[in-house]
Amino acid sequence: MRILMVSILFFMVTIATYLVMNFMHFKYRKAFLLPILTTTVGIILVLVVFKVPYETYMLGGKWVDLFLGPAIVALAIPLYKQRELIKQNMLAILVGVVLGVFVGMTSGILFTNLVGFSEEIIYSILPKSITTPIAIQISASLGGITSLTIAFVMIAGFTGIIIGPMFMKWLRIDTTIGRGIGLGAAAHALGTSKAIEYGEEEASYSSIAMTLSALIGSIVGPVMAWILL
Amino acid sequence: MKYIKIVLQVLVLYGFVFIGNWLQDLLNVPLSGSIIGLLLLLAALSLKIYRLEWIESGAYFLLAYLPLYFIPATVGVMNYWHVFAGTGFWLIPITMISTLLTMWISSTVSQFFSRKSAEKEAELL
Repeated sequence: MRILMVSILFFMVTIATYLVMNFMHFKYRKAFLLPILTTTVGIILVLVVFKVPYETYMLGGKWVDLFLGPAIVALAIPLYKQRELIKQNMLAILVGVVLGVFVGMTSGILFTNLVGFSEEIIYSILPKSITTPIAIQISASLGGITSLTIAFVMIAGFTGIIIGPMFMKWLRIDTTIGRGIGLGAAAHALGTSKAIEYGEEEASYSSIAMTLSALIGSIVGPVMAWILL
Repeated sequence: MKYIKIVLQVLVLYGFVFIGNWLQDLLNVPLSGSIIGLLLLLAALSLKIYRLEWIESGAYFLLAYLPLYFIPATVGVMNYWHVFAGTGFWLIPITMISTLLTMWISSTVSQFFSRKSAEKEAELL
């Protein structure tokens, strides 16, 4: 009974905090008020102040988590509606995503090697630009720490959605394909949630970049680790 | 009526996740169950086995709140403060810089190639 109450409480807290933060973002229109960032920080603060462990929070959190799978499947809709556009630009998409995966993994391995981190950490950081469930598989197959990989995937996602829009503006990325592929290849599903704000073309480019980099990353990842380490 | 439709369509989306997970287990492919589900739904729509209006309202309902479903995972970062203490701090700027490099390459290259092919088409006309 108590477990059920706690589950309902944290389920409601997550949704309510998100809705309030979403409203704040809508009202004040500031980049740092990004709902996913403010909600995450808000909930972590509450958990730390009341000394609630993450595992207890997840009793309710996992109910929210249940929606992620069907929402990812739902990305098939913008993809389907923009299929002609995607077919026309298939070469541009493929080259962009393949190079993105390559640069992401190489730079991750090289920088961590430079500072002198252990192989375990390097394997954990390698798949950071790839959507969580696949990143975990890649990391585990190499001998990385999966829970740490989730943290890196999240940092990559937040970097992509917070700094990404300004960064791409500065780079003069002003096409729907540039923005969509950039967000999806660097910041996976989190980037795709940002791409939806831009429009349906960006959303479909971003979901195809996310799917392709998961596919390419899981094949290329082990090879890159083998060559560079 | 509108809400019943949304609930039913969300359940169908769940069905695709379920089949995706089952296939992932069976074939051991390097894709998650939900991404396999996405590809299956895309195939079903393209082959006209399943119609867009049988799924559209449910799909857009879920997509409207997409960031919400990541929150349980992002809150999980709270368990890893210790990794980022001391020299571990460097892992944060490394991840950020590497992410921006990825974004720079993939967005610039895809934008360049799509403009190139658009120009070529314009020349042909």
